Amino acid sequence: MAAPTSAERKACWEARDQLWQCLDDNNDKIQSCQKFQRDFEAKCPAQWVKYFTKRRDFLKYKEKMQTEGFKPAEGPRVNS
Amino acid sequence: MLGMSCVLNHLRAERGFLLRLQRTGQTQPCLSGQLSQRTLTRPFSRAPHSAASQARLKLRTRLAVTLLFGGGLLGVWWYVDSEKQQRLRQQRVEQLRKVALGQGAFSLLDHTGRRRTKQDFLGSWVLMYFGFTHCPDICPEELDKLSAVVSALDRDPSLPPVQPVFVTVDPERDDVAALARYVKDFHPRLIGLTGTPEEVKHAGRDYRVYASAGPKDEDGDYIVDHTILIYLLSPDGLFLDYYNRLKSQEQIVESIRNHVHNYVSL
Repeated sequence: MAAPTSAERKACWEARDQLWQCLDDNNDKIQSCQKFQRDFEAKCPAQWVKYFTKRRDFLKYKEKMQTEGFKPAEGPRVNS
Repeated sequence: MLGMSCVLNHLRAERGFLLRLQRTGQTQPCLSGQLSQRTLTRPFSRAPHSAASQARLKLRTRLAVTLLFGGGLLGVWWYVDSEKQQRLRQQRVEQLRKVALGQGAFSLLDHTGRRRTKQDFLGSWVLMYFGFTHCPDICPEELDKLSAVVSALDRDPSLPPVQPVFVTVDPERDDVAALARYVKDFHPRLIGLTGTPEEVKHAGRDYRVYASAGPKDEDGDYIVDHTILIYLLSPDGLFLDYYNRLKSQEQIVESIRNHVHNYVSL
């Protein structure tokens, strides 16, 4: 299976951007963005779909950490 | 008041040597001058109308002195700061030399099928990036950045041409044909390098490049996790610097320009 060409890469990125824009507008509700999801999966290799989905999850998580803060995990209990 | 005018005279006469004055303590004659001035010219009463103009004059000269003083200080600060930057750069080069990446001799095939060894690249500056053609977004972005950097450097006539090189971390899929298809999307001088898994692993090891192929999906497709760095090699083949994803095109161009100008051949 040959690697995507420059044109195919751009098409995939555009589809991904449209999907992410839709998800941003609809508060991450996948149901409202089915059309974009299908378009995205058609234009991108399966491996990239998985990668970009994980990437979005990570970016959302990072944003949450940066805006809401986090509670540091409790370290190992020290036996005194 | 009189003391002030004494200092003013000194400053006006020797603007550029203000600091030297301070350092060598040449304010001594000023102080003694001030004393003698006071004994010779007692404060005399001035007419009211010229007092206002005197005050205005004093303000203008005071302003001029302050600006000169400030300018002098700024000049010193700028000079000292640029010296410090130079020292930091040299320290970094020393540290990277100690790490001595890229000591070995790699032997790979380029995207035209020609065999290339490290020897072939000696004598020119090289910007090297490790990646793979099935990369979703990072490699195309970094290669775009690299191409833009090389183009920007090409436009500077004082700099020698820099050779961009793309080495695959995925030799199983990235053969000569795949590389040929891939590199034509970027800078015209970009050379793609591949080889047998052994040869590629050897080259990666030379530059301590981490690469790990992920699990294959039902299409047999997989992502290769790898170090995302652009390496700068000197004409001696020595690793001089590296640039990560956070470095912008302008920062990289500036850094390379500095390296080229400060370069001392071994």
